[in-house]
Amino acid sequence: MKKSPLCSRRHFLQANSFGLGTLALASLLEKEGLLAAPVKPALFGEEQFDLSVKEPHFQPKAKAMISIFMMGGPSQMDLFDPKPMLTKYDGKSFPGEIKYDNLAQASSKVFGSPWKFSKHGQCGMELSELLPHLGKVADDITLIRSMSSGVSNHAQGLYAMNAGRITAGRPALGSWLTYGLGSETEELPAYMVLSHPGGLPTFQGEHFTNGWLPAAFQGTVIRPTEPRILNLDPPAALAGKPQARQLDLLKSFNEDHLELHPGELDLQARIASYELAANMQTAAKEALDISNEPDHIKKLYGVDNPVTKDYATRCIIARRLVERGVRYVQVLNSGQSWDQHSSLLSVLPNNCAATDQPTAALITDLKQRGLFDSTVVHWGGEMGRLPVLQNDAGREKWGRDHNTYGFSMWVAGGGFKQGYVHGETDEWSHKAVIDEVRHFDWHATLLKAFGLDHSKLTYKRNGLAASLTDNQGARIVNELLA
Amino acid sequence: MRLITAILFLTLAREAYGESPALTFEKDVRPILKEHCTHCHGEEEKPGGGVDLRLRRFMDVALDGGVALIVPGKPAESELIDIIQRGEMPKKGKPMPADELEIISRWIAQGAKTARPEPATLGIGPLITEEDRQHWSFKPVQRPEVPTTVDAALVYTPVDAFLLAGMREKNLSFAPEADRRTLIRRVTLDLTGLLPEPAEVDAFAADQSPGAYEKLVDKLLASPAYGERWARHWLDVAGYADSNGYSEADSARPHAWRYRDYVIRSFNENKPWDTFIREQLAGDEIAGATHADYQQAVLDPKRLDQLTATAFLRMAPDGTGDPTDDQNLARNQVIAEQMKIVSSSLMGLTVACAQCHDHRYDPITQDDYFRLRAIFEPAYHWQAWRNPAQRLYSLYTPEERAKAAEIEKAAVAIDVEAREMSKKFLDEIFEVEILKLPEADREPYRAARATVEKDRKPEQKELIKKYPSALALYSLNLYDQKKQDIVAAKSAEATKLRATKPAQGFVMALTEVKGQVPETKLFNRGDHEQPAHPVPPGELTILTTPEIEPFTPEPVASGSSGRRLAYAKWLTNGQHPLFARVLVNRFWLHHMGRGLVNTPGDFGFQGELPSHPELLDWLADEFVKGGWKLKPLHKTILLSRAYRQSAKHPESIRADPDNTLYARFKLRRLDAESLRDSILAATGTLVRKSYGPPSAIGRDPAGRIVVGVDKGTITSAKVESGGENDFRRSIYIESRRSRPVTVLDTFDSPVMVPHCEMRNQTTVAPQALLMMNDTFILENAKRLAERVQKEMPTDRTAQLQQAWKILYGESASESEISRSLAYLDEQTAALTSYFSALPEKKDEPKPDPAQEAMASLCQILYSSNRFLYIE
Repeated sequence: MKKSPLCSRRHFLQANSFGLGTLALASLLEKEGLLAAPVKPALFGEEQFDLSVKEPHFQPKAKAMISIFMMGGPSQMDLFDPKPMLTKYDGKSFPGEIKYDNLAQASSKVFGSPWKFSKHGQCGMELSELLPHLGKVADDITLIRSMSSGVSNHAQGLYAMNAGRITAGRPALGSWLTYGLGSETEELPAYMVLSHPGGLPTFQGEHFTNGWLPAAFQGTVIRPTEPRILNLDPPAALAGKPQARQLDLLKSFNEDHLELHPGELDLQARIASYELAANMQTAAKEALDISNEPDHIKKLYGVDNPVTKDYATRCIIARRLVERGVRYVQVLNSGQSWDQHSSLLSVLPNNCAATDQPTAALITDLKQRGLFDSTVVHWGGEMGRLPVLQNDAGREKWGRDHNTYGFSMWVAGGGFKQGYVHGETDEWSHKAVIDEVRHFDWHATLLKAFGLDHSKLTYKRNGLAASLTDNQGARIVNELLA
Repeated sequence: MRLITAILFLTLAREAYGESPALTFEKDVRPILKEHCTHCHGEEEKPGGGVDLRLRRFMDVALDGGVALIVPGKPAESELIDIIQRGEMPKKGKPMPADELEIISRWIAQGAKTARPEPATLGIGPLITEEDRQHWSFKPVQRPEVPTTVDAALVYTPVDAFLLAGMREKNLSFAPEADRRTLIRRVTLDLTGLLPEPAEVDAFAADQSPGAYEKLVDKLLASPAYGERWARHWLDVAGYADSNGYSEADSARPHAWRYRDYVIRSFNENKPWDTFIREQLAGDEIAGATHADYQQAVLDPKRLDQLTATAFLRMAPDGTGDPTDDQNLARNQVIAEQMKIVSSSLMGLTVACAQCHDHRYDPITQDDYFRLRAIFEPAYHWQAWRNPAQRLYSLYTPEERAKAAEIEKAAVAIDVEAREMSKKFLDEIFEVEILKLPEADREPYRAARATVEKDRKPEQKELIKKYPSALALYSLNLYDQKKQDIVAAKSAEATKLRATKPAQGFVMALTEVKGQVPETKLFNRGDHEQPAHPVPPGELTILTTPEIEPFTPEPVASGSSGRRLAYAKWLTNGQHPLFARVLVNRFWLHHMGRGLVNTPGDFGFQGELPSHPELLDWLADEFVKGGWKLKPLHKTILLSRAYRQSAKHPESIRADPDNTLYARFKLRRLDAESLRDSILAATGTLVRKSYGPPSAIGRDPAGRIVVGVDKGTITSAKVESGGENDFRRSIYIESRRSRPVTVLDTFDSPVMVPHCEMRNQTTVAPQALLMMNDTFILENAKRLAERVQKEMPTDRTAQLQQAWKILYGESASESEISRSLAYLDEQTAALTSYFSALPEKKDEPKPDPAQEAMASLCQILYSSNRFLYIE
């Protein structure tokens, strides 16, 4: 089928005006020194929000992102943030003040990490023995040990890390990126979500909602098992030209209808979705099929091992999607499987065993394909955990409570530094004390890697210009960028 | 520098917009402190650093080093401002936004005033203040005057007056009225979830009498399809499913459908909502039924209905009948999820947040949460739990029960006979087998065989192991198949006999065990392993004021605690500030596409404010005064000018894209069920049989979950036709939490975990793929083509016109016809060469290319925005 732009020709010129209008206004306001304040946008005309490629504000390194989002709160002091003080005080009373979330189950007993840390790579990054594969690519990643979002609830933590503020209903990061940059492919959704066979993470759709951004920018969820996308095969008699003929007539009817409903964004998005779907029939099947990946690649990720098979397969798919121009891919866990209020000793190693090799392999693989510099890989959750025990009811029950005052995540590629550790928590890994990175700082920095100015990437809503970082005083953490 | 400019800008902006700059602690400052500070500084037992920010007067303290926390009139000398500016506070949570800090600063500059004298004493924990009580949704509903200063010609029902008053500021008015064909399609889909038939559209378009529209609305409200459509809205909120969820087993809930039927019937009967809700919360207490004493209730249709209604409280995911890691946790999880459903469906509050700690944003304490839980706990009682199988109540009459018992007795007698027969055969075989043993072993072996297995001595076990085949205690078939057949024939007689028992139905219900009232305890951190002090049943503190008097539970005659009944009566007595508002807001949302409160499940501080608070109150009051009857309320909304207006209104789209002012009809996509049902109805194959057990579903070889009978095995997926059940309305399709039906799931029908406040409306490529390639669409496109060909046998143009009328309620334009005919020609030619190239198959005539082309055109029409959207 002939490739055509994702919006209709007659709307094309208007299409590009939205970026221009907003930017022009923003620059005017910047000159006036008013940019941090909510902007009253000019009334708009016929807006068309489409997935055509948009010019970023400045030259970016990053073009795509794979976010391996681990809902629940991975325990930073057992994985990323070694604290000799915890070991020293293990089992003793915590001498300082703890910001408990769960006062009731709280214990003041320090819980030293039962796992050993050692230095990895030339940079000497200290990582837990639970992450042996990540250790091998330590020289490629930036480890942030000083994340904070400040609200120790899963929901608010998720909203903060994934959508910029602690309130529900806002557009996810992937929606902002596709809104700001458009799509590099007309054959696949710009924003794809690879869900886990155990089901979606808690808060489900909030992970990939377009919130109040137009429908064109929502995440498309891929099924966790084969067939990963249903209905990719056209009926035999209609395959090829006959179906193209169908879609042409459909489009002409839909455009007539849209003429009568100017400004209805959902109708526009629906028209675009058919064009995308037509292209996906061939492209998606090929993109999602890893059977032709060479054995050494499958082995690298761990497709051959039942423990790693699922994440390995999804990480390979994520790479294949990025190779084909998908802007943003989320690899999700199920429920909040990293939420170890108890049974940390048994569950955390299992979680790591399933994810460590596939995610490290993703870095190695992107590097060998020359995609590393243009692809941001992110691994992290919505929060971290406390240095003291929770559920002091026998060793097998030990766990840790939520902590959003200081936690870790890592990010690699796309112009982020390599072999770099950023920030520190206090000696207990409780609170970020040096070079704290708040969730909106992270988002502002990430957008910069994509060539976007977080204060300019706005969407007009209720007479105001809303953004991912939304006037929270975000700081671009330039130290994270190479 | 820039920040200050921004603040200045904001300040100026605010003043320019005429907002009062006089700030008070209660109204302006306390909400900011509550969000950022008082969690540590006031609400914990020992306020952090001795600083308690809950009251203004607590701030008159000197800190270490003699620094004043606040100096009224001098923000620059106030440590409160300084410490926040330095970024040292808030220690936890997000930083305080600059504009909020600026408000505090300005408040101090103005002298740090309070609105009124502060209370003399405060307890520990969050303070429920006068300002909390002033939150709009906690105040009693007050019927406002209907605005009269609007254009009376545009006021069809009072609704319009409120809306027009709201539009004035933006200089908007209603869009022109929608044309009659659009209107009948809109209102029919809205009320019945189905398309109007072409003849109905034509008749309505031709009927220019003034009462025509009202007559149409009345007809639709009287149709059984109305209940089948509107029940769905309530089932979303209630979290209806035909499976238990929670664990991977997701076991079936085979009797849930009676509750679904109860809801549909209630809508169709226009059952008043006070009754409807009372039955769902306390139908068992109304019907006088308890766990052990329900027989009389199930025999009386009315009381049976009341008992059935209580399944509302059985909707939460429930893994307690399936293998779970932690049974106590699973039980408490059921209660917690059910509390979530109850509180958000009936009160529009996220009370569940207070399960573990005082609510972070709303004035709801953890004690409040457990007071609410205590209302329901006698029916759940997690330490004397009744698992799903133990909550089913047989619908047998005493006669049926006696008959069944009699049959069972006879069947058991046959079973015994069969067993004896088998034993006799085996003994005979043994006598032959034992002769094969050495003489010396025979008697010891006989003794070993005669000893029950667990009492056998080691040497006896050895002996049996030595001659295993001589044992002949079981597996008669291995010794003698013919004898086994005789025994099997005997057993079959019992099975056959049992099949003659009267069919036994069950109702899934919630009841209490007579006299059993567990003490509800607050759980620290929501953890049932950490019970704290006991909590009596009661209403949320914020809702108990001198003006409104909540409830006092009194045991009912049946022996039930009466807690739920008392609560249900209070909720529905017309005084509850939230209940009626929450309900009418949802009704409005379904009609108008946007709630007056756009967060239908959150009327608290984090929820959005009502766009038209007076209209909301007017509707709530109207609903209560009208005897809680929904059908008249439907009419008030449906007959309004607002509902009848066109979706096309460029000024409104431009000035108000979210349609908060309702100056146009909000265009929206068909929801999942309306989409599937309308596609089936258009072909004439929709089966309109109401009520009863759900239509089965299965996984087809392409991985889709489809309607039909699942004949799959572990290795292969297969679904066979379920006959007419496959063509029933979507509300009658089995709703398994782990197996969402693909056609519905793809178009955003919710998976109930635990329920759905408001559906998503996504627009994603998998939906397009479904319309292009799914067998459901392909088959129905073919059926639609057959229908129009049958109705208009000769003329393709007439066939096209008919398809247009069926799906859009309108004739096709000339251009549409000519494009379609050109398409049909090309497609027929292409398909002709495609089919002719296919090898001939015996007994399978080749498809007719012209007919296939028409089917492919019908598929286009199904896929079009004009079909998929309601305008």
